[in-house]
Amino acid sequence: MNKTLAITLILALFLALVVMPLSADGHERWDGSDELDVNPLECMGAEMMDDDGDMEEMDMPEYDGGMVAMGDSMAGMDIVVVDVPKLIGIGYFAATTLGQQQAAEELGNVSVSTDGPTDANIDDQIQIIDSYITQGVDGILFAANDPVAIAPVLRKALEAGIHVVGYDANSEPDAREWFVNQAEFNGIGKALIDSLVSQKGEDASFGIVTSTFTTPNQARWVSEMWAYADKCFPDLDWLETLEAQEDAGLSFQQAQTLINKYGEDLDGIIALTSVATPASADAVNQADVCEDVAVTGLGLPNAMRPYISSGCVQEVYLWNPVDLGYAAVYILRAVIDGEFQPGDSSVMAGRLGELMVVNGSEVLLGPPFAFTAENVDDFDF
Amino acid sequence: MQETTPAPRNPTVSEKLRRLIISQEGVLFLIMLASVLFLATRTDKFLTVDNLLQQGRFMTEIGLIAIPMTYIIITGGIDLSVGSILGLAAIVLGWTWQELGFPLELAIITAIISGTVAGFVNGLFIVRVGVPPLIMTLATLALYRGLAEGISEARSARGYPEWFFQLGQGEFLGIPTQLWLLIFAVIIFGIVLARTRLGRALYAIGNNETGARFSGLTVNRHLLFIYTFSGFMSAVAGYIFVSRVSTTRSDMGTGMELDVIAAVVLGGTSIFGGAGSVPGTIIGVVLIQLLKNGLVLAGVTSDATIVVIGSVLIFAILVNNFIQSRRGEG
Repeated sequence: MNKTLAITLILALFLALVVMPLSADGHERWDGSDELDVNPLECMGAEMMDDDGDMEEMDMPEYDGGMVAMGDSMAGMDIVVVDVPKLIGIGYFAATTLGQQQAAEELGNVSVSTDGPTDANIDDQIQIIDSYITQGVDGILFAANDPVAIAPVLRKALEAGIHVVGYDANSEPDAREWFVNQAEFNGIGKALIDSLVSQKGEDASFGIVTSTFTTPNQARWVSEMWAYADKCFPDLDWLETLEAQEDAGLSFQQAQTLINKYGEDLDGIIALTSVATPASADAVNQADVCEDVAVTGLGLPNAMRPYISSGCVQEVYLWNPVDLGYAAVYILRAVIDGEFQPGDSSVMAGRLGELMVVNGSEVLLGPPFAFTAENVDDFDF
Repeated sequence: MQETTPAPRNPTVSEKLRRLIISQEGVLFLIMLASVLFLATRTDKFLTVDNLLQQGRFMTEIGLIAIPMTYIIITGGIDLSVGSILGLAAIVLGWTWQELGFPLELAIITAIISGTVAGFVNGLFIVRVGVPPLIMTLATLALYRGLAEGISEARSARGYPEWFFQLGQGEFLGIPTQLWLLIFAVIIFGIVLARTRLGRALYAIGNNETGARFSGLTVNRHLLFIYTFSGFMSAVAGYIFVSRVSTTRSDMGTGMELDVIAAVVLGGTSIFGGAGSVPGTIIGVVLIQLLKNGLVLAGVTSDATIVVIGSVLIFAILVNNFIQSRRGEG
């Protein structure tokens, strides 16, 4: 009796395991994409330069950010700000922290400290923010590990009269006041696919190394890459998307998996985290297939310099994370000083000049930036 | 714990007190008290009712899973798959509700049943096939996480109705709702372990499994029960977690097994089996949570905090070993 039950259970479990991957439909979006709407840009060569800005202004949606509870105005006064990134101890968030410190130094009346989980864990991040609300800071900057999960604790901050500005990874719009958008998703999607096509042609086969299928930014980029490729380069052959957390060792292994599994068929690897791109380049370099496999993706110049200088990698894309952190502090200061309010269409951010408001309550940092052999030595982060 | 004295006499109050203080739980409780007092002098934001209740909310999931983990470690076993079961239950909840269109009540029950079945499968392989618990639950740690990712196709389920958040974000009589559940569970399962035949059987299995078998204990049935119980509690914790953070993700509960085991071991449960208690475990859970929160409030960054927690863990175990060995000699 017991045995029959046991065997049935085990069979059911394994059946579920085997059937599940098969049920995925071939016409679905690429693995690792989300189900939100996509908005692919014009194909390479067809677009006019810099027409982006005009399009945004035509139909500017209403402000959809949150409202902070009324408190004493802190305009012009010294403020204490805490920055809670997804995790600490990686180059990318070290660079945003650097930008925040630069802005704080220029402004002179802001003190920023960075504290966050040591791995990208949603619950740790929530608990850390909650503790800082209890401690009583004047402003919170965040990069969300999950847009929904982080929302209640951010709303609690707004209710407590604490100003909240996000950067890098958004939350639900009403849980924060503004979000600094480092690059629009369709811009990145286009840049990466164009980079692959210009190196390997319109019928290239490629794999993707991402963080996890649920990470909001990466999922959006995969969706936009899929939409842009579908529209402009239907002959591109997407092989597989592999998850590698934000872990260097795992990213290296996953890139190796792609190289070994597809061999000659693999023309390119698109890596979507600042950790996965150098790890993929390293894997390609060690397998001695720099000529055959083009690595492109999002990467930090310091980590990519050896591969770009040696010619193994032609270019990687990113925004400037130092500018991203810098802009977040300037925007928070402008909000507290009452200089930047719902309905405004732009904000001044120190050395970056005027930044445009998009999508209701987001501030756009600018178009993605290509790091190549010519300019990679000009950057240090 | 209880020794039979040859001449029955009532111990005096001071003797009772002394015995309580030098017990495992007593030593740990003093360490906790010292930490709380120290943290309270560093910041006035720490020792407030609001803050402490909020910490109670955050520690409920770990506390609930730590109870069956105490049972399991007392028998000399371990369950590494609890975090993955939590994630699996969360995903089943969101998926059956959003994709299969179950009523939310039914989705919650389905989620708890799947977690229980997941625990049952662990137990089944451990007692029937004889796979060591460490190996079996290490395998299902990966397997259940994989199932969760497969079922969800890595999408999250969101947009639950308002009543669903009552358990995770609401309060009842001024205390976070889920904390009531934890208090209730601690009392019931604390008594079960300390005062019932089932509890004594678990200690017997942990001290000498072969001996327990020859004394006619149904060892297999007990083991099967505690691993199933562990799956059940992990699934309940998963439900609370989803209700608290208002979304389901397939990576929920990643690494949680280590937090749970750390609390249980800190609470004086022997990793070799045969000793431990639910009150000790709960003190362990509370101590870790208060240190995490209090140190941040006192201005210590969270990377330094985990170093402090690791040190306290080692310190508490050393002090406890020292006192217990002295007591053994004296």
